[in-house]
Amino acid sequence: MKIRVVKEKCAGHARCWAQSPEIYDLDDEGYILDGDIDVPEGQERAAWLGAKSCPERALVIEDYKKDSAA
Amino acid sequence: MSTVPDHVPAELVKDFSYFTGPGMCPMRGGDPQGALAALHDGPPVFYAPNNTYDGYGTWVFVRAEDQRRVLQDAETFSSHRKIFEKALGYDLPTIPLEVDPPEHGAYRSLLNPLLSPKRVMAMEAANRARAVELIEGIKARGNDCEVMNEFAFPFAVGVFLEFLGLPQSRREEFLGWADKQFHGTPEERGEAIRTVIAFMQELVDLRRREPAEDFMTFVVQAKVDGREMTDKEAVGMGALLFVAGLDTVAAAIGFDFRYLAENPEQQEKLRAEPQGVVLAVEELLRAFPTVIMTRIASRDTEYDGIKIKAGDRISCPSMVANRDPQEFPDPNTIDLARPNNRHVAFAYGPHRCLGSHLARRELAIAMEEWLKRIPTFRLKDGVAPTTYGGHVFGIEDVRLAWGAAGR
Ligand code: HEM
Ligand code: SF4
Repeated sequence: MKIRVVKEKCAGHARCWAQSPEIYDLDDEGYILDGDIDVPEGQERAAWLGAKSCPERALVIEDYKKDSAA
Repeated sequence: MSTVPDHVPAELVKDFSYFTGPGMCPMRGGDPQGALAALHDGPPVFYAPNNTYDGYGTWVFVRAEDQRRVLQDAETFSSHRKIFEKALGYDLPTIPLEVDPPEHGAYRSLLNPLLSPKRVMAMEAANRARAVELIEGIKARGNDCEVMNEFAFPFAVGVFLEFLGLPQSRREEFLGWADKQFHGTPEERGEAIRTVIAFMQELVDLRRREPAEDFMTFVVQAKVDGREMTDKEAVGMGALLFVAGLDTVAAAIGFDFRYLAENPEQQEKLRAEPQGVVLAVEELLRAFPTVIMTRIASRDTEYDGIKIKAGDRISCPSMVANRDPQEFPDPNTIDLARPNNRHVAFAYGPHRCLGSHLARRELAIAMEEWLKRIPTFRLKDGVAPTTYGGHVFGIEDVRLAWGAAGR
């Protein structure tokens, strides 16, 4: 499972980090770090919840079913 | 009433106003946010010919998805709306609220670290102590209180003074300005704005002369795009914090406490499980937000086939998007444990509330400490608070009682 980070959409709500700090890291201004995120096995649910909490739709979930089924 | 411009088709004009429509005028026991939820049964975008305090017409964007598109597109929809011009007789842009990208980004980068989630954690203990002191004072005085004057405003102003690095001894003075600025007559408002601007100018002068470890010293010493901050910029920043960070927090506390007073079973639930407060605060921000985002079209454009002309005002009411059934299942039901609560109380896009992380903690602290210290409370003598719509929604006269008082 992968999270595609659409950095230019991030407005620093920090909801992803509040939801799942183990997956989502913020910079000193409180905005998401640039670069897509490879979700470690077993953390799919946390990653999914964090992505779903983004008000800007800046976090796109990719390959969720495939990986979580594996 | 302003006339409807030629490019607005008659079928998109709606007799609607945040000021005079049903549920918008000040009234006891009102529900101004709920009153607007029915807009979702109508067109997603419409034109209201007289919809600002100074008589302008605005487009109203109803759906969350459309508001997101508008607010993320700052190039087409500008934020420079000259809020203070009327009161001051000249334009003094509030920063960063009325500045558009790309300039906006430089100011935000400067300010973001001061109110980042991690920075806000460092303010937690002092803010909590402030809340506890106020609540203990209320308890010592008796079994009832008026939440806005005795708790919400003093708490918000106290946090604000601490953030600005000003002594708490100025609280009464600031409370007076805040009261006039937010609840006074138009003349009183103008005067309060001028007072706040003059105060911020004095503070800028002082911190240029005598630097200290505080917000204004940071601002006057900061560089934007490699140059010094001007007085006008520093004043525009300080004044905005005053306008943005007091009434909003106080109103949210007022709406939260009213809800809890009317729903004692929810009080009990949260008392038993205080870790639920964080989600409860989010849901109450969704249900009772107060801010309407206004933008001005910077060029002619078309939105889903609707012609919008440069200079048109666009209104994105957060309280309407937050009741969008396509975004929130069962939007008019308050579910304090609502999952995936992506509400727009703090806006979308680059102008996302700079103080949102602080505000969230203020609201959670207020609710946690209140529930911990005050037993089951209710509206005193059953008198409902006064609510109102308008350009920022609000609530007044939130009288609560507990124990034997005011049954
Ligand atoms: C519950 C409390 C609050 C609510 C509901 C709220 C809401 C908002 C909203 C909706 C905006 C966007 C306005 C727009 O785009 O037109 C905004 C902007 C802003 N807020 Fe808040 N706010 C709150 C508390 C605070 C606090 C405590 C502070 C300061 C410490 C603050 C400082 C700001 C600033 C500086 C901006 C301008 C940001 C920009 O334009 O980039 N707010 N707020
Ligand atoms: S929730 Fe979205 S907008 Fe907020 S920090 Fe995370 S990615 Fe950015």
